[in-house]
Amino acid sequence: MIPALPMLREACLNIRGKRASLLTTFLMVSLSFVVFDTFLVVTWNLRCILEREQRAVGIEVFLDGGVGEAAARSMADMINGMDGVMSVYYVSPAEAEALFRAEIPERTDLLDMMGEDFHLPASLQIGLLPEWRNTERISTLAASLSGFEGVSDVVYGEDYLPGLTGLIGTLHKLDLFAGTIILVGVSLVVAGAVRLAVARRSLTVEMMTIMGASDGFVRAPFLFEGLLSGLAGSVGGLLFTYAVSQILSGSIDHSFLPGRWIGGVILLGAATGLAGSWMGLSSSLPSPRK
Amino acid sequence: MPFRFRAVTLMIRFDGVYRSYSEWPALEDVSFSVEPGEFVVLTGPSGAGKTTILRLIWMGDLPSRGRVEVAGYSSDRMRPADFPALRRKIGVVFQDFKLLPDRTVFDNVALPLQVAGTSTRAVRKRVFSLLGEMGLSHRRLSMPHELSGGEQQRVAVARAMVAHPSVLLADEPTGNLDPVVSRRVIELLVEINRSGTAVLMATHDPRQIPPRLARLIFIEQGRIKDPSDIQSVEAR
Repeated sequence: MIPALPMLREACLNIRGKRASLLTTFLMVSLSFVVFDTFLVVTWNLRCILEREQRAVGIEVFLDGGVGEAAARSMADMINGMDGVMSVYYVSPAEAEALFRAEIPERTDLLDMMGEDFHLPASLQIGLLPEWRNTERISTLAASLSGFEGVSDVVYGEDYLPGLTGLIGTLHKLDLFAGTIILVGVSLVVAGAVRLAVARRSLTVEMMTIMGASDGFVRAPFLFEGLLSGLAGSVGGLLFTYAVSQILSGSIDHSFLPGRWIGGVILLGAATGLAGSWMGLSSSLPSPRK
Repeated sequence: MPFRFRAVTLMIRFDGVYRSYSEWPALEDVSFSVEPGEFVVLTGPSGAGKTTILRLIWMGDLPSRGRVEVAGYSSDRMRPADFPALRRKIGVVFQDFKLLPDRTVFDNVALPLQVAGTSTRAVRKRVFSLLGEMGLSHRRLSMPHELSGGEQQRVAVARAMVAHPSVLLADEPTGNLDPVVSRRVIELLVEINRSGTAVLMATHDPRQIPPRLARLIFIEQGRIKDPSDIQSVEAR
């Protein structure tokens, strides 16, 4: 058990009187986290857009002109009972025309040109459960729907859906890659700072060792320093990124990181600070040699 | 039964110890022992291996060959947790004092107790009492650079003694002091020895201690020699 009070005292003595090197470490760690946080903000906003798009993913089943409303509603009930289907909405020809006129008012002349006898086809708009909103499952469901009697065409965004799914996967991989790079980079920065701190306090370390201080007692103040450097650097990086985000919010529509992600970044800062100081200590503390 | 639980009949024992640094032999076949409560003066010319012997005693280094036993701990059976436990039984005084410059006299003397996890109240009681015995009470809030050389060495001795060690190692403790202050420091070490603590003092000048008070070990070029050889070395 390491006595807490002397350990904290040693940590304060470690930190006192070396403001320049602490500031350098803080700036370097903060800068690393600014890069990481910027990447996370971009990722977060892209993910929000992609998720919004993904929520809109569904299947539209166009019906033959001969399918009446009653038959269409009966088909809708049947589809509603299928696996992966969250909702089915029947769009009548009149409703389809009203929708067209409302959503694409500049092209209503097309409908007028076709004459009064022309009607847009009735359709069924099928909403899917979240776990079914991927290329493989949607295409399987679409294939079985196209075999239904009275179905003229099935559309499900087959052009963009594979790209969307792939982009989300790539973003996840990039998150992991950037996180690893930052983890290693910040650890090395803190390790270097702790090595310098050990060299600067070599007399204290030597005397403590001779006096019978345990390994933990000697290490603890330096680990505490590393933890603080990582924490302060990650918080500093977040504050800087937030300030830039606020400045840019007028010209670029975006949102800052959610609380859960901010917590994760701070934890990552603490963990990398600890890991870095551990690395620095393992190569700089004296040990008995044969 | 592990060796360290046996009754300690010898405080320090070197058994055929070799120690080399990068192929250069610092010690060769060194064997000697120190009994509890004994005062031993380790003498020899500069570079003879005196400091290496002290370093092997507090196990800052381990022997390349042979065995060192100190206060019941043996160099060939040390586990990581044994090093701090052994070192808490040893006090060390250095020629250049090695006081920590960023803390007061009180804090320097208190450090060995703090690293051992002693309660704050017990630390205060013991340090105040010891500083009083050593005539340093009025200096307890001074920083090391504010003290004279003699005061600094007394603080260093107080720091070495504060945790009641079984053995006190002194590496040229008077090397940086004038003759008058040196005599006072030697008297302090003799007093400490009389209270029952074994003292091993390394010095290149054995005349500082009267022969009736201490046993002499003479070392030259990493080997223990007959003390009668001292005169021939001095003549050279």
